[in-house]
Amino acid sequence: MMTEPLISARNIKKYFDVKGGKLKAVDGISFDIFPRETFGLVGESGCGKSTAGRTIVRLYDPTEGELIFNGQNIYKLSRKDMQEIRRDFQMIFQDPYASLNPRMTVEDIVAEPLDIHQTYKNRAERTERVIELLRLVGLNDEHAMRFPHEFSGGQRQRIGIARALTLNPKFIVCDEPISALDVSIQAQVVNLLKELQDGLGLTYMFIAHDLSMVRYISDRVAVMYLGHMMELAESDELYSNPVHPYTKALLSAIPIPNPEIQRNKKRIMLEGDVPSPINPREGCRFVDRCQYAIGRCREETPVFEEKAANHFAACHVV
Amino acid sequence: MENVLEVKNLKISFQTFFGEVEAVRGITFSVGKKETLAIVGESGCGKSVTANGIMQLLPKPPAFFKGGEILFNGEDLLKKTEKQMQAIRGNKISMVFQDPMTSLNPTMKIGYQIVEGLVKHNKMSREEAKKKSIEMLELVAVPQPEKRINQYPHEFSGGMRQRVMIALAMVCNPQLLIADEPTTALDVTVQAQILELMKKLQDQMGMSIILITHDLGIVADMSDRVVVMYAGQILEVGLTDEIFAAPKHPYTRKLLASVPRLDMSREEPLYSIDGTPPDLYVPPKGCSFYDRCSEAMKICKNNMPEFDEHSATHQSRCWLNHPMAQKTNSTDGREV
Amino acid sequence: MITEFEYSPELFELASKEDRNAEKIRRPSIKYWPDVWRRLKLNKLAMVGLSLIVFFGIMAFVGTQINGYTYFEQNYSLINVHPDSVHWFGTDELGRDLFTRTWFGVRYSLFIGVAAAFIDFSIGVLYGGIAGITTRRIDAVMMRIAEVIYSIPYLLVVILISVVFSAAGQGSSMFVLILALSLTSWVPMAILVRGQVLQLKESEYSLASESLGADKKWILRKHIIPNTLGPILVNITLSIPRAIFAEATLGFIGLGLQAPKSSLGTLANSGLAGLPVGNSYQLFIPAIFISLIMFAFNVLGDGLRDALDPRLRK
Repeated sequence: MMTEPLISARNIKKYFDVKGGKLKAVDGISFDIFPRETFGLVGESGCGKSTAGRTIVRLYDPTEGELIFNGQNIYKLSRKDMQEIRRDFQMIFQDPYASLNPRMTVEDIVAEPLDIHQTYKNRAERTERVIELLRLVGLNDEHAMRFPHEFSGGQRQRIGIARALTLNPKFIVCDEPISALDVSIQAQVVNLLKELQDGLGLTYMFIAHDLSMVRYISDRVAVMYLGHMMELAESDELYSNPVHPYTKALLSAIPIPNPEIQRNKKRIMLEGDVPSPINPREGCRFVDRCQYAIGRCREETPVFEEKAANHFAACHVV
Repeated sequence: MENVLEVKNLKISFQTFFGEVEAVRGITFSVGKKETLAIVGESGCGKSVTANGIMQLLPKPPAFFKGGEILFNGEDLLKKTEKQMQAIRGNKISMVFQDPMTSLNPTMKIGYQIVEGLVKHNKMSREEAKKKSIEMLELVAVPQPEKRINQYPHEFSGGMRQRVMIALAMVCNPQLLIADEPTTALDVTVQAQILELMKKLQDQMGMSIILITHDLGIVADMSDRVVVMYAGQILEVGLTDEIFAAPKHPYTRKLLASVPRLDMSREEPLYSIDGTPPDLYVPPKGCSFYDRCSEAMKICKNNMPEFDEHSATHQSRCWLNHPMAQKTNSTDGREV
Repeated sequence: MITEFEYSPELFELASKEDRNAEKIRRPSIKYWPDVWRRLKLNKLAMVGLSLIVFFGIMAFVGTQINGYTYFEQNYSLINVHPDSVHWFGTDELGRDLFTRTWFGVRYSLFIGVAAAFIDFSIGVLYGGIAGITTRRIDAVMMRIAEVIYSIPYLLVVILISVVFSAAGQGSSMFVLILALSLTSWVPMAILVRGQVLQLKESEYSLASESLGADKKWILRKHIIPNTLGPILVNITLSIPRAIFAEATLGFIGLGLQAPKSSLGTLANSGLAGLPVGNSYQLFIPAIFISLIMFAFNVLGDGLRDALDPRLRK
């Protein structure tokens, strides 16, 4: 891809101080996201993907690292300048039941970005914009005066999407936007996101743990484990030729809705559970559960580097 | 194959401020010996209510059984007293819940929770019960069981806790295990482990499983037969192979088409179903899927279809099965 | 297969899309406060409490006018009269009509209670809100200060203030009383509000608002406070009887309103003298009134708490 990236993340780290030491939620990840692409980020619980998403839009200040957008490192911006950037960086949250204020009407919720940045001249304009956005996500005018609890999960998520679109952002981080929804509704929301991307030229970072869905919607996919990025490749490439042992195990664990294939599948079983990200040791984070681990894996943290064309991984053995 | 469980025309409703909510509107199915039956459906379809209903774990107001029978080994569970049910729960029929965080008592040691079940149901002595619980923990692959029976739930990870739940459920060697979304709260690699474990235990101990889930992958992996529920009713039932290879009901077809699959190309579009399931305060008169069905016909709005047989094991209830449907619609309406 | 009766072919035509309304919301819109009121109405006890409060509130102004006697007229020929058809609650040791004096006392007690609760609310919400939204360090300092203030026994404070403010010995003015009562009692409200703010600060909609560019003041105003109003309301309803009882206690031990003004506490105090000489009504009547007011506010407060609890929704 010879185009300029929209955002560049360089060595982003986010540590939390907890009882017992340092929780290294994100421990040095670097990647680019290009305009109009969907960048998928997957991993299991505790891998740091949600933290990564929130750090990228500076909901959390990073412990270290840079995020370059429009030639500037957004972490160095003043509060006022950051306000401006916020119009371009939006977020869609996981829990459609918690991300909408239960005491506000849908209209107020969707119009909140307008209210905060004071970008409308009068109430009529404001209402007009809200209705326009509601229609865009497949809801209608009569929904504007209602309260969140009157809607289903899928509809609430669409309200959240409408809210994120209010200021015409360039980049939207979708933090597990469909995990709390029913299967058929997930497809609804994902199709909507795709439509909007085509129509409005949006760039997405799609964070999820449902690997099948991520593969479907993303152009490139990155796999995280315990704060480290383990593999990154184009979607088809990653799923057909996974290189990292963790990715391989992850993919083999997904049950496929096809009884014949599922019955004859050769499975890679991982032992045990995901270890804790508090005070992790040096060396590859996956070493305790990896069937290919060698001595070096325990001592030296593998570098995240290009193993094949546009296919990156962090592993000594591959 | 005699059936361990037979549910006949079960109806369960809830009395609420707004009126009656018909959560389960007349369902009939059976579970055979050593069989795994999957109940698939989205939230609100009534699958959890059914599971809890079988175990008689629903709070009696506001829930009430409007009709039907639940025959376990030929005896109607709805006619049993609470005391009789207590002797059955955990003993002959066990349940594993979705969230291992909340279904284990955080103030009791793990060993104690298992031992209690044995002492109560099997009248074992504490010594024997303790030995048996260590055996169970070994069976579910909890490492160092002698040490861990003295630990509390919060000292276990999510996957471990679910294993403990399974141990608790299996300790009295039940005939039927009801697993209500047992792996939904777990990571995918842990989920694979738990599913393997359940399969292994089923082989070893010969029990039947009712597996409630919304994940079609798990259904394909684990089940022998499938029941598809929607808005409190069963729309289709059949062998797993039949349902996946030739789904007959539009809902089932749409559901299968709305799941992205690793074995399919990324270019194939994901079909989504418009709208949301109906509100069961005002249950629809006709087919409950009418509002969202792209192949709906006028008759579907006010008339509920009966079950039609596609094979000895495969049935669905849909007006499209009616001979007149095939005649009138030239395109056959089956794009999916 | 169905063979009972023939269906006409039109029935099998495809239904139009408009006929199928996939997105419709069937249930009527429920707004927040009307729903709370509805749930409260279902609670009989709470309704009894509310009616009592309304009754007392009205009578506090009407009751003093009904029978024509004032609260301060002394009539030495009619001292210590037991309740009869003329003096419905009897008279006290100075011949003053107790019916009027009692309702006067209700007025004062209610006023003091509400005023003190209002001050609790104002200071408490401000202090708690700031403590909750600010950095953990400032919050810790603020909370330590609040705890120290709260640990001072309010009786001590009242006495000190009375000594400082009032004229020699006879009791305290209403201003002093209210000041003394609220000097320390705002702390529980502040703690409640701070707790709510801390919790709601982490809510996903607050986070969403932040991601949209909102600053802390906006989030506090638009998202947190509106969602705290429920528990705050309950707290206010329950702090009124606390204040009234505190005032009654003060009056009972002689630190209450100056004569001839009467609060229920001072009435009970004077009434105490009547107990050994067979004039027990002089004590019991104000005591019963205090109890009823406390009871009414408490059951209302409890009922409100239940009505606001989302988990108890029926």
